[in-house]
Amino acid sequence: MYETLLNWLIFIPALGGLVCLFTPSGAKAKQIALGTSIVSLIITIMLAAAFQTDVSGPQFVTSVDWITAINVKYSIGVDGLSMPLILLSSALSVLVIAAAWNIDKQTNVFMAFYLFLMTGMFGVFLSLDLILFYVFFEISLLPMYFLIGIWGGPRKEYAAIKFFLYTLAGSICLLITMLGLYSITSEAPALGGQNTWDMMTLQSEVVQSLFAQGGPHWVFGCVAFWLTFIAFAIKIPVAPFHTWLPDAHVEAPTPISMILAGVLLKMGGYALLRITYPLFPEAAAYYWVCIASIGVFGIIYGALCAMGQTDWKKLVAYSSVSHMGYVTLGIAVLTRTGFDGAYFQMIGHGITSAMMFFLVGVLYERAHHREINRFGGMWLHWPKYGGWSMLGFFAGMGLPGLCGFVGEVMVLLGTFQAAERAGVNPNTVYILGSLAAFGVVLTAGYILWMFQRIYMGKPREEYAEYAPINAREYAIMIVLGVAALVFGIVPALVFNITDATFNSLMRSIGFAG
Amino acid sequence: MTQTQATIRTLLVLSTVLPLASAIVTLFFGKNTLKKNTGWFAVGVMAVSFVMSLIAAFQFVSGDVEPFTWLIPWIPVPGTDAGYLYLGLYCDHLTVGLMVMVTLISTLVHLYSIGYMDGDKRYERFFCYLSAFTFSMLGIVTANGLMQLFVFWELVGLTSYLLIGFWFEKKGPQQACKKAFVMNRIGDTGFLIGFGILFYQLGAKVLMPVADGGMFDAIAMSLGGKEGIMENPPMWLTMAGIGLFFGAIGKSAQFPLHTWLPDAMEGPTPVSSIVHSATMVAAGVYLTARIYPILTPGAHLFISIIGLITLVMAAFMAMVMTDIKRVLAYSTLSQLGYMILGVGTGAYIFALFHLITHAFFKCCLFQCSGSVINAAHHEQDMTRYGGLAKKMPQTALAYGICTLAIAGASIPFSTFGISGFYSKDGIIGGTYNYAQALGGWGWLFFIGPILVAYITPFYMARSFALTFMGKPRDKHIHDHAHEAPWTMTVPQLVLAVMALISVPWFLPWQDLIVATQEKMVAMGTTWAPGIDELEVGIHHIHGPLLYGFTWILMLGLGIWMYKDGFGKASRIVRLPVIKQLYTWTLNKFYFDAFYDIFIVEVVKVFARICSFFDQYVVDGLVNLVAYIMRGLSDLTRWFDNRIVDGLVNGASDVVRACGQTMRAAQPGRIRIYVLLLLVSSVVATLLTLVVTMV
Repeated sequence: MYETLLNWLIFIPALGGLVCLFTPSGAKAKQIALGTSIVSLIITIMLAAAFQTDVSGPQFVTSVDWITAINVKYSIGVDGLSMPLILLSSALSVLVIAAAWNIDKQTNVFMAFYLFLMTGMFGVFLSLDLILFYVFFEISLLPMYFLIGIWGGPRKEYAAIKFFLYTLAGSICLLITMLGLYSITSEAPALGGQNTWDMMTLQSEVVQSLFAQGGPHWVFGCVAFWLTFIAFAIKIPVAPFHTWLPDAHVEAPTPISMILAGVLLKMGGYALLRITYPLFPEAAAYYWVCIASIGVFGIIYGALCAMGQTDWKKLVAYSSVSHMGYVTLGIAVLTRTGFDGAYFQMIGHGITSAMMFFLVGVLYERAHHREINRFGGMWLHWPKYGGWSMLGFFAGMGLPGLCGFVGEVMVLLGTFQAAERAGVNPNTVYILGSLAAFGVVLTAGYILWMFQRIYMGKPREEYAEYAPINAREYAIMIVLGVAALVFGIVPALVFNITDATFNSLMRSIGFAG
Repeated sequence: MTQTQATIRTLLVLSTVLPLASAIVTLFFGKNTLKKNTGWFAVGVMAVSFVMSLIAAFQFVSGDVEPFTWLIPWIPVPGTDAGYLYLGLYCDHLTVGLMVMVTLISTLVHLYSIGYMDGDKRYERFFCYLSAFTFSMLGIVTANGLMQLFVFWELVGLTSYLLIGFWFEKKGPQQACKKAFVMNRIGDTGFLIGFGILFYQLGAKVLMPVADGGMFDAIAMSLGGKEGIMENPPMWLTMAGIGLFFGAIGKSAQFPLHTWLPDAMEGPTPVSSIVHSATMVAAGVYLTARIYPILTPGAHLFISIIGLITLVMAAFMAMVMTDIKRVLAYSTLSQLGYMILGVGTGAYIFALFHLITHAFFKCCLFQCSGSVINAAHHEQDMTRYGGLAKKMPQTALAYGICTLAIAGASIPFSTFGISGFYSKDGIIGGTYNYAQALGGWGWLFFIGPILVAYITPFYMARSFALTFMGKPRDKHIHDHAHEAPWTMTVPQLVLAVMALISVPWFLPWQDLIVATQEKMVAMGTTWAPGIDELEVGIHHIHGPLLYGFTWILMLGLGIWMYKDGFGKASRIVRLPVIKQLYTWTLNKFYFDAFYDIFIVEVVKVFARICSFFDQYVVDGLVNLVAYIMRGLSDLTRWFDNRIVDGLVNGASDVVRACGQTMRAAQPGRIRIYVLLLLVSSVVATLLTLVVTMV
């Protein structure tokens, strides 16, 4: 039964999307979309309830032949790595559709595209076959392109095509690797000369050993590691592959920014943990300083860029670059604490970034500009909005008790823990860890400075014309704010689900510690 | 866990959590339901919390209870022995002592706020923040390990941000609260690094309480025995200690992160009175005391140097400020310097004792200054005060008592005095031992505190004289001045009494700390000298402090100089060298200017460069690739149109041209065809002939 539900999870949004497409009435389309997303959420919750936390492999697996000529299978399943992310995706989707309630331009098409995007997101997180993964990875691109390109801001065409082409360039790197990988797999004796796209088989030791240092395909392993890393680094985005992000966010409508930052970026981090690291652990260990440095660079560079912005939404966009730097760092250091931290950071950032973008959007919808210096005194004008804003932004800043803190601290601890690994120079670790720790100062700097300029001081006269914040908007803020609080206080909610899978992941890549 | 321990645990947890509950209630029900009763509600809850702490403390001390921990798993950290980051409780003598002190002062500050914040438009919200702040501080005091401490440490940062920026409509508080938070975060970076180093070296042991020696044992074990570690501590341990201490530098506003504290005076005065006495700034000292067992001699030296610099520098600045709250702020800095120096030099007991005595008299001094400011139409400049004693006798009395306390008043040639005397002389005694052990330049660690022992009574007398004595300098203010309402004077007087009686032979504060230290020493976990050694040190300071005449002399000098306003002082300030020194001091040794220009502005410029770089170089590269691709595609189109297609077209053109030419030869007339046929057959025949003949 749950296997069927898992399939439905992927295809219900697509069906809903088709229905929306042929519903001329915008109001009806919105209801259909909301209904579909709620159904998805219910299915996800049912799956989560039935999910066995002590099983490390994929659960509720469906696997049928798809393209037999090249061994492609339609195989999906959920494990500890994907469960929290599909929960995040479906929960956030309900909020996103609620946030898009004001869209009045071709509403039915908007909702249809959004539901197609949901199919793509679920597909990416649930695929167990590389080709299927690739297909969904691309499927999630197209709706996004239209959602930015049609409903976006003044430079929407530029932003949309940039987003599309940049990510596509990454996908090409992935495709090349996949093809190479496929042709090599038959060399693994245990696979009996069969080529395979199956992710679980690819993660096994027999395949890993092909790409091990001194193994027959070490050089290919290194090249493939970097190619897949770049493919997913663009998605995360890791500085310096991040410049599509500020443009996409600035031009995208608020709900799309929410889902882009909240879930789509997580595909990159997820894929690193799902594909790049388990497949090429030796290469990952070989280049770990490089990757970790890129992560640290992203943390500091993103924070500095955020500080230099005068556009509020761009500031939040750069804060994503900075926060996702912790994800890269946490994964790069190859320690269990680091992995846990990186993963939690993804979930936490999914909540906080969606909230921050929504808070920006609420004001932008009324002020029609995002110049930080042209605001001020918002707290006095709308005390409740000010209060929830503070919760949201301070969660982003990583204050204890809110969800941003857990990820950051665990990544930092995981970084220091990396010094325990064999062959690692503790001084390198100290330097990386110290620089990453310094990031928290810059984060406090740009968030507080922004908070001062927008919320503190005396309200401006033009605020009187702004429509009051309605119940729908407050509801979205409250849900996200409470989520930030709950996950900050009870982080075990996530770790309980991921524990078994991460155990086996660590064993599989050879760093059980 | 015994029955008594369980009871104490419950009491302490309740008294920690009650203020949080109060904050939540006032947040949601303050404005509409409780309204003006919010203040009383919050005071009531705090009072309950205080009583609970007091009962817990009595039970703990009278029952001779062993220190204990209570752990709740919080964040799983797999792959380590402990497996979790814990929340929970660590309870020893110091914990219960500080719980009582903090809840008492917080209750009094809540009460005081009812009077002070009366009429403020966010009256209810103030109590919410104040209770949340108290909760955070209590969380630090009861923390069972470094991680829990850090969690509440950050919450103290947040709530102090809210409190300092309470009047966020104005520019000053906005800047001040941001500065406080960021400065604290800089310190926190150090804390995280120190914690990370320990985490790597010790693994999960670092998640356990430090204070009970568990962590020291772990360190000793990992290095093979306590003797080795005592004689030759590893470098990383020193670095970890200094890193953790950086957190304290931020919170306790030590040099070089001290600049946020005077600015934090922008907050409402009740905030100053709690933040700068019993709570936030005390947290840094408390942290340093809690990590005491793992501090190496190198770390001790570092801590002592920082404490010494803060101590002396701030004392000088307190002498020249004319804003009454700023005088007290710099005085706080200076006193914190004493405490940090005390911990650094091994006068652990007296440093913590000073933390408690200082909490009482400094809280009182701030409250009195608040009453004065309230009476003087929010004028904070002492140049416009004068002669207020008659108008506000109770405030003047409380201020006077606390001035004596901070000055370290004692009966000459005896060892009887009021609270500040015992704690301060104890610290100076500790520095004597330390200086003697170091020798040479190390004597600075002794000269500094002695010098400040002379300066402190002077600047306090100055502020007292300028405010309460002499003739009024601003008639308008003087005419309107009035004694504060009882909600404000009662806390002041209670605190003043506490400042009088917090002496070792009356209240057991010091015994609690001594008991804590004995536990540490018993576990062989400290480099600190015992209390007997400290007594020897104290014996050596009587001479330099004129056998108890210092405070009389300097108080007298201060009052003589300032009781008639600035006349005498301004003549002295005009003297050549002093003038220079005065200018420097008045400008806070240019620290703020330096930070603003060389750090804040540099970071801002750097941030702008980064975003410029990002937009034009990093993104420029991406766009460049796009332009190149477009250029290439244009080129290809041209090539395709003109060359590739051109070739095809060209070929057809050639064929057509040939056709055209040939067409001329085929006009379609029979005669021409016949002629051509004839000519060609003749030519062919001729050619054939020629060929065959040759």
